[in-house]
Amino acid sequence: MISIKNLEFRYGDSEDPALRDITLDVESGDFLGIIGPSGAGKSTLTYAMSGVIPHHYKGDFYGSVEIGGLDTVQSSPEAIARHVGSVFQDVEGQLLASVVEDEILFGLENFGIPREEIEERIEYALSSSGISDLRCRTIASLSGGQKQKVAIASITALRPEVIVLDEPTGELDPQSSRRVFETLRELNHTYGVTVVIVEQKIMMLCEFARRMAVMEAGRIILEGPVREVLSHGERLEEAGVNIPRVAALSRRLREAGLYRGNTPIDLAEAETMMREVAADAAF
Amino acid sequence: MLRFENVCFGYRGEDVMADVSFEMVEGEFTALMGENGAGKSTLCRLGNGLLKPMSGRVMVGGHNTKHVKTSSLAALVGFLFQNPDRQLCSGTVRGEIMLGLENTGFDKATRLKRCDMMLEMFGLDGTRDPFGLSRGERQKVALASVLAPKPGLLILDEPTTGLDYRECVTIMDIISRLNEEGTTILMVSHDMEVVGDFAKRALVLSGGHIVGDGPVREIMRDRAVMESSSLLPAQIPSLAMRIGDLGAAFGSAFTIDDMVAAVERSRDCSGMRRAAAS
Amino acid sequence: MRGFLDYVSGDSVPHRLNPMTKLALAFVLCAACFMTKDHMLVGGVIVCNLCLAAMAGVFDRSARVFLSLLKLAFILFVMQVFFVRQGNVLLTLPKGFYITDEGISFSLLFAMRMIAAAMPLTLMLSITRMSDLSNALVKFLHIPYKYTFVLTTAIRFIPLFSDEMIGIMEAQTARGVEFDTRSFIKKVRLLLPLCVPLLISSVRRIETGAISAELRGFNLRTRDSGYKTYGFGAIDAAAFVFCALLIYAALTV
Repeated sequence: MISIKNLEFRYGDSEDPALRDITLDVESGDFLGIIGPSGAGKSTLTYAMSGVIPHHYKGDFYGSVEIGGLDTVQSSPEAIARHVGSVFQDVEGQLLASVVEDEILFGLENFGIPREEIEERIEYALSSSGISDLRCRTIASLSGGQKQKVAIASITALRPEVIVLDEPTGELDPQSSRRVFETLRELNHTYGVTVVIVEQKIMMLCEFARRMAVMEAGRIILEGPVREVLSHGERLEEAGVNIPRVAALSRRLREAGLYRGNTPIDLAEAETMMREVAADAAF
Repeated sequence: MLRFENVCFGYRGEDVMADVSFEMVEGEFTALMGENGAGKSTLCRLGNGLLKPMSGRVMVGGHNTKHVKTSSLAALVGFLFQNPDRQLCSGTVRGEIMLGLENTGFDKATRLKRCDMMLEMFGLDGTRDPFGLSRGERQKVALASVLAPKPGLLILDEPTTGLDYRECVTIMDIISRLNEEGTTILMVSHDMEVVGDFAKRALVLSGGHIVGDGPVREIMRDRAVMESSSLLPAQIPSLAMRIGDLGAAFGSAFTIDDMVAAVERSRDCSGMRRAAAS
Repeated sequence: MRGFLDYVSGDSVPHRLNPMTKLALAFVLCAACFMTKDHMLVGGVIVCNLCLAAMAGVFDRSARVFLSLLKLAFILFVMQVFFVRQGNVLLTLPKGFYITDEGISFSLLFAMRMIAAAMPLTLMLSITRMSDLSNALVKFLHIPYKYTFVLTTAIRFIPLFSDEMIGIMEAQTARGVEFDTRSFIKKVRLLLPLCVPLLISSVRRIETGAISAELRGFNLRTRDSGYKTYGFGAIDAAAFVFCALLIYAALTV
């Protein structure tokens, strides 16, 4: 779906490249989490996927980014937007209307979606984000989590194959963050939308993402299925990425020669690990 | 240091805080937890006088907040907001820290001395423009300027939200060092790992009431309290509660070290048993 | 005064008017106040505003706007009343000040006009969705969408700005800046440096908005893009008749 080859990008006003030698393939239907310290180039990478670079922010662009066979440098931002939808961290900033329904209409109207299709698309967008009841509410009256879902719905209405999100839960509390992730999972499972998300909350990625990419200083240093990436505890720590406590625990047990199995990524797996370890120890 | 006595507060007829009472003594590190809308921010704002209680009293270091101007409480109570950008307004980091001192009535020599101390303590370059720094660095500048007047009580509203892991660790290390030196700390946080690692006491708010108050280790294991305020305990205590049947050491583990120690002890015990049997 | 420009949803008669009718009605209510010299008619326009607000279910808000305008109007009245020299002197004050009957009449009219002219705008914005207003302006007045978008965005930003400003002032008070001072001048002087953080957060926000609009096809939009249609019905006709009558009254009374 997304194919990035040897991408290097340097913003016009800066000395150092923000992205260096990025090669990444995202397959259709994937759920990819991107994590890394601030300044590692995560946002720039999402910009590369949505065509914001090199179209909105200018700079030196080497290598290639293809979205569903479309080269982003040669295509207009609007043409790219038909394949990739973007959601940003600043919830307030990206919403442009005062009523939920109008927010969703905005993109549909602009892209000239046929009249008879519009109602169906609005309903699809609202129900897939679980906010059908908010249709006529003013955006000012919504909570942060609800606003972020409206932003997601305004994108899904356009039926992009990929949705790219840049820390959409950065300012939300744990319950609201979880609900945003549940919405994304629903889109991914039921509607087959490919999800690429930049996120600091590693536990959320462990629970919801299928693959994970770790960035450091403009490069992707690790990429693969979540469990596999988490087994590189030391490398992650060095890059300044937190790992879930249960994964850290398995690392400690392994170092002490008490455990040899897989790295657990959630509580259920950690429970299995501990029962195994305790049984071994008592033997 | 900080005492709430039957405090009630509401906006436009809606109760946000109903009959809240608690006391924090000097040197405490207390985490304030609860869902969004539970009244955490209101409680913090009542604590530094930005809001005044409708009934009841809030006492800060012996002063009733109702009778003191909020701006003059600043020397007593440091308040760090979630978004540092609302606080920064100076062209240089040094200017920003000096600004925090100007408003609190120290003499010039002391102000300069305290400013240098802060720059050193936080490892900041005083000549930089705060707006050119990363989010984590800006948070550090904001914290430095709040701490410069040396307040005895520090109220932190989600100090680690929006920071990456390394920035989070840096900020929390500074805060815990201050606490060791005697500063009283009240911290709102959604991050249960941070709460578990640093706070000693936890206050749990739900619907404007305090529904839980006690040592963090006990509160996190109190299913009734945690569930009533839809909080999830940190991972290791959660794991411990699932495997309590393996033995008391497993069931009561709170940190990774506790967990590893429990495994090692059970191995040693079985080793001894085997030795005794043979 | 918070939120006095926000849209309040509803299905009342004023809500159902065509956005163009609402705009015309608001404009005529304003204009009538300046065409007439009759106190009663201007008073009538104020009452009319409050009635429309009551019909639309936003009476509380209009009443609040009215009361705050009343305070401002009183200041204007006092400032004006001493400067009109014509007419019969009613009251002589020291230092050569005096108040005349014409002065009172003129100042009263001036203050009332201010109230009557400010209310229709807030009322119209309370009962019209931003998007409807902007679409109607594009469709009927052929104003380019870019301009109406800027206008509606500016109005939408007002509450966001005021929230941000309140947050900034709170943060500054908490670090000892005396925003809780009673002196107005001192407060303004303290406020000036805060324009920097406000400006920076606004620029960031606008940047996000611009990218978000661009990626949702803002540049592809044409006059025919609007999905909703805005018809004129019997209530619109009634409103236009009312407008004509009001203008006639304003010109003849």
